[in-house]
Amino acid sequence: MIEISNISKSYSKGEIKAVDNLSLKVNRGEIFGFLGPNGAGKTTTIKMIVGLLNPDQGSITVNGLDIRHQMLQAKKCMGYAPDNPDVYEKLTGIEYLNFIADVYDVPLKERRERMEYFLDMFGLTDAAPDLIKSYSHGMKQKIVLTGALIHNPELWILDEPMVGLDPKSAFQLKELMRKHCDNGNTVFFSTHIMEVAEKLCDRIGIINKGKLVAIGTLDELKKKEHAESLENIFLELTE
Amino acid sequence: MSIFWKMIKVSLRVNFGISVLKYRFTREKKKLWEPILIGISALLGLGFFTAMSTLIMIVLYKGASQPQVGSPELVLTFAFLAGQLVIFFFGIFYIISSFYFSKDMNILVPLPLKPYHILGSKFVVVMVNEYLTLIPFLIPAIIIYGCGTSQGIVYWLKALLLFITSPAIPLIIAALFDVVIMRFINLRKSRDLLAIIGGLFGLFLALGINFLAQSIPKNAGMNTLTSFAADKAHIIESIGKNFPPSIWATFSLSKNGFAGIGYLLLFIGVAIVLFLLLLKLADLVFFKAVLAGQESIKKKKAMSREKREALYSQSSSTVRAIFKREWKLLFRTPVFAMNCLAGMLVGPIFAVMPMLAKNSNMKFLTDIISNKANAMPASLAALGLMLFSASMNMVSSTSVSREGNMFWISKLIPVSAEEQIKGKLIHSILITLIGVIVTGVVLILMFHLSFIRVLVIMILGIIGTVPMSIYGLLIDLSHPKLVWTNPQEAVKSNLNGILGMAASLLIIGILAVVSILIVTSHFQDWFCYLAIGVIMVVISIPGYYGLINTAKRKYFTIEV
Ligand SMILES: Nc1ncnc2c1ncn2[C@@H]1O[C@H](COP(=O)(O)OP(=O)(O)OP(=O)(O)O)[C@@H](O)[C@H]1O
Ligand SMILES: [Mg+2]
Repeated sequence: MIEISNISKSYSKGEIKAVDNLSLKVNRGEIFGFLGPNGAGKTTTIKMIVGLLNPDQGSITVNGLDIRHQMLQAKKCMGYAPDNPDVYEKLTGIEYLNFIADVYDVPLKERRERMEYFLDMFGLTDAAPDLIKSYSHGMKQKIVLTGALIHNPELWILDEPMVGLDPKSAFQLKELMRKHCDNGNTVFFSTHIMEVAEKLCDRIGIINKGKLVAIGTLDELKKKEHAESLENIFLELTE
Repeated sequence: MSIFWKMIKVSLRVNFGISVLKYRFTREKKKLWEPILIGISALLGLGFFTAMSTLIMIVLYKGASQPQVGSPELVLTFAFLAGQLVIFFFGIFYIISSFYFSKDMNILVPLPLKPYHILGSKFVVVMVNEYLTLIPFLIPAIIIYGCGTSQGIVYWLKALLLFITSPAIPLIIAALFDVVIMRFINLRKSRDLLAIIGGLFGLFLALGINFLAQSIPKNAGMNTLTSFAADKAHIIESIGKNFPPSIWATFSLSKNGFAGIGYLLLFIGVAIVLFLLLLKLADLVFFKAVLAGQESIKKKKAMSREKREALYSQSSSTVRAIFKREWKLLFRTPVFAMNCLAGMLVGPIFAVMPMLAKNSNMKFLTDIISNKANAMPASLAALGLMLFSASMNMVSSTSVSREGNMFWISKLIPVSAEEQIKGKLIHSILITLIGVIVTGVVLILMFHLSFIRVLVIMILGIIGTVPMSIYGLLIDLSHPKLVWTNPQEAVKSNLNGILGMAASLLIIGILAVVSILIVTSHFQDWFCYLAIGVIMVVISIPGYYGLINTAKRKYFTIEV
């Protein structure tokens, strides 16, 4: 579903190499967990996949579509929620969702169904007609998440989606992710929570200082690193 | 009570930046020129107003001393009336911002202070600030009357006391008004609106003063002026009756002996009683209103399902969706709206000025313009003014910058750069059109142009907004300023805004040169209009292709 080959990205005119010659493949129908210490390059990688940053070198394809040359089609099959929810504070929740649904060309009937569904699930139904300005951090995150999923994309790309969510919402999100994959779709997400990665992910990738240091199923990783838990593996690999 | 005094002291120190000044003068010697410069300009401004007002007061004093009026003390009534009214109106805004919107409230409210400590000290600070406002009104009148009627020492003492207490009554009334209003209406919601109302009020005041100034006979000798003032004297008297404190102040100065002292005591007494009332009211409702102000507005009731479903809507095209987003974000962010719209009032104001003017110079001008023989140059001048007014906005030249750290959404959505830029362009053109149309309407009302000419310049004005918007947008797209925290930075300190205006002015300049050439070559009128229209289109075409190409090339490579 996602194929990243040899991408690199530097910030500040080459002084900080955030992602260094990274290659990685995410298969259709799996939940892929992307782990790594702070500043490892997770967000940078994700932003390159969704087209917010342009790789200095290398290429990325999503669903067989090159994100540079077939950008618009590639974007249509992705839904992305960033790690911090900077959204139009001067729009209401509903207006924001309508805007996103408009630009992703979601028919009225479907958008109504999905909005009702997500808003109800996240407990945002009453807040939806208010300005996003009046939302709490978690509420903003949920509205962004809803926006990311409103066009029912095949591929979800979520940057630390559980941070800031209350336990119930986090639980529901995990269920959603599971269900999405069971339907043959794909989820790529980054996280710092080891249990989530252990329980939820089909495959896991660990990145450190911009380089991929491990990739595989939990069992494969355990075998390879001779370790009991994901936590141990993580600590060992990211020293 | 000692807490109260300390609060007042601290508030005054903060207000006048005394600690900052001290720090500057003792430690950081290099930035000295800054406060000095500010001080000098403040003094100059104050001096200017005081000088202006002195002139008016002298005329009024002479006028009111004329035998047919015979009450020179009207100059005092006028001064107190005008000063206190100005203080009242500005006080309403000043007090709301100081009582309810100041940042230190978050610090002060949790402290173990009584509401009246906070409110009282804030009130005193406002009042001290208002002395500056009062100087140009009261000091000239007091001196003119005092010297004119050769008053003794008691007069000057009474005057001093009156000066010190006179901001109190109008300010307290304004404060009472505010405290009551704030208890019932959550103005924080409309905080930005308030700023706009305040600004407009200032504008109207300026226009009003201008209007009054125009109605005074020009180039007339002192005698005509004084008789003019004498004619108008009764107006002051009748207005004064409706605001008794100005009469009390007048009588306390103009009457001798016990009567004068009595009115003085009445004036001060009423101020004190009102002040106590304000403090009492503060204890009752102030915190509630301040705390209510902290909450952001939430709809009280849950919406019914049907109602909510009506909110789900679909736009007919992506360009339209982009346009709608731009529209909402512009009008709901007051700083953006002000900066993009206010400039466009320049044209109409320019246009209205001569209308207010009754004097001969301006009449001469309007005559020229209204003369049939000059219809062509007049219509072109009108077009120029319309376009100039339209150029005074930053809507296109900050269009990308205004997105700031929300730009990721534009990069993420599967809408081509071309379509996004088109949405922005249509939005910019429509907003810019407001400037053209408003100016156009005002001009039409004033100048007696024929219907055909009106139609033609309107159409040309509308076409003219296209190149201005295109080049503004091109400038912003080339170097958007996306890193900002306060929306103010996206418009006010954005070089693109200035460059965009410069580009628009350049376009107007080109059009002006061409028009002058054509008109002086005695071509037919229709040819001139056509040529201008064609040039506008010709200017637009490369700009448009440049814009679309830049968008395709650059839009998705912009990294926030
Ligand atoms: N806008 C930027 N400008 C300069 N350097 C940046 C920028 N964004 C990220 N970096 C640098 O790139 C590196 C990778 O950052 P990135 O945000 O991808 O890390 P991350 O893995 O998402 O970390 P975290 O777990 O904290 O979210 C870090 O060294 C960071 O300092
Ligand atoms: Mg990150």
